[in-house]
Amino acid sequence: MNAENVKSQMRKGILEYCILLLLKKEAAYTSDIIQKLQEAKLIVVEGTLYPLLTRLKNSELLSYQWIESTQGPPRKYYKLTEKGESFLGELEMSWEELTNTINHIRNN
Amino acid sequence: MKKTLTVNLGGTVFHIDEDAYQLLDKYLSNLRIHFSKEEGADEIMSDFELRISEILNERVRLGSEVITLDHVEMVIKRMGKVEELFDEEPAEEFKQHAHSASGEQAREATSRRLFRNPDDRVLGGVCGGLAAYMGWDPTPIRLLLFILMFFYGITIPIYFILWLIVPMARTATEKLQMRGESVTVENIGKTVTDGFERVSSNVNDYITSGKPRTALQRLADGFVDVLGILLKVAAVLLGVILFPPLLIVLFVMFIVIIALVAGGIGGGFGFLHNFMPFTDWNVLATYPEWILMAGSICTILIIGIPIVAILYAICSQIFKFKPLHSGVKGALILLWVIALGLNIFFVARYGIPFWGDWYNWHWNSAVWQAFLPGW
Repeated sequence: MNAENVKSQMRKGILEYCILLLLKKEAAYTSDIIQKLQEAKLIVVEGTLYPLLTRLKNSELLSYQWIESTQGPPRKYYKLTEKGESFLGELEMSWEELTNTINHIRNN
Repeated sequence: MKKTLTVNLGGTVFHIDEDAYQLLDKYLSNLRIHFSKEEGADEIMSDFELRISEILNERVRLGSEVITLDHVEMVIKRMGKVEELFDEEPAEEFKQHAHSASGEQAREATSRRLFRNPDDRVLGGVCGGLAAYMGWDPTPIRLLLFILMFFYGITIPIYFILWLIVPMARTATEKLQMRGESVTVENIGKTVTDGFERVSSNVNDYITSGKPRTALQRLADGFVDVLGILLKVAAVLLGVILFPPLLIVLFVMFIVIIALVAGGIGGGFGFLHNFMPFTDWNVLATYPEWILMAGSICTILIIGIPIVAILYAICSQIFKFKPLHSGVKGALILLWVIALGLNIFFVARYGIPFWGDWYNWHWNSAVWQAFLPGW
């Protein structure tokens, strides 16, 4: 048991939640999502994200369309589906509960 | 000076140094293997390729005409090394292995299986497989077998039986099991990217070696081809000769069952007599009813299952049917074995009904003698 391991597990646990949160505000290119997650220090390497996005898309939480790019190949433009929005709602609630739990334990 | 290759990556053409290509190819192959079990593996891979293409495109626009090793290393660093992307499990396992003081345990965990070795074979790959299984060099085994052949004739049939029943190691997983190496993703990656083998999208797909064949091996290949043709001809001839009598047996068995069902206990043989007046059906009356019934059903299964299987195989070749589901196949084989066992038991216990009659009846006894001498 080392701290790094637990920390990375925690980060991994909230990754899906964070992706959905980012896309709730506005639809985005894969590269934008990567950049934001990297700024937030949630992911280190880009490769982590592609399987995750595909999994979310296959669960019909996300959808994408191809957008032509002036520089290079066309890019995927991801947005939240209706199912994704209600899913996100559940996650929000569960996040509230978690923070409440933590606060409760901390303060007592 | 370096040789360059032209590749199409995510729809864009790049000039890439040979060493850079090797590295990128290996990286993508390893990723493909890691993702192969996942749903949507193809999509994930094309995402990776598109992104890599995007990154490299940037470099090209900045003025690099050729993609070099440095570029590819930069790409891999950005995308994440395979170990980084799939960090947790292999590391844990590795630690555990390191902790278990004796290396013996780790070695036992990886079980060896006997396969025929397609990458090191002269005839069927039996010796190559044995060598891989024992961890020896195949040449002494071949020599030994060759010498044994002259002293013990039985060596030859044993070889052919092994050839028949030992499976060929076709997938990367099987090739690793053949050599007793543990089936880890790293090892599969090694097997697959070892130089001359191409990666497919699935770990369990067949992979074949592109190693050139030596003159001796090519001679042996010719021998194998001729042998295969001879066996096929023999099988077809046997089928042609055996098919009509088997169909008649099948037919008679159906009649017997219909008679038994129609007539109830004891009364059905009049029906049979009307149908085939030349046979003395009364013999049947001396056997218990249920034995006749069960025996007939078993005989139908014993003959019917292989015939249906062969017909299905032929049809699936011609009309491109899906091959039978392996579960169905297993059930049929099990059913066949059970039927055969029961019938052997019935014959041993009660004898063969109206066999004597039949034997003297129209059946050309010479045909039977040829295939079942002494019956």
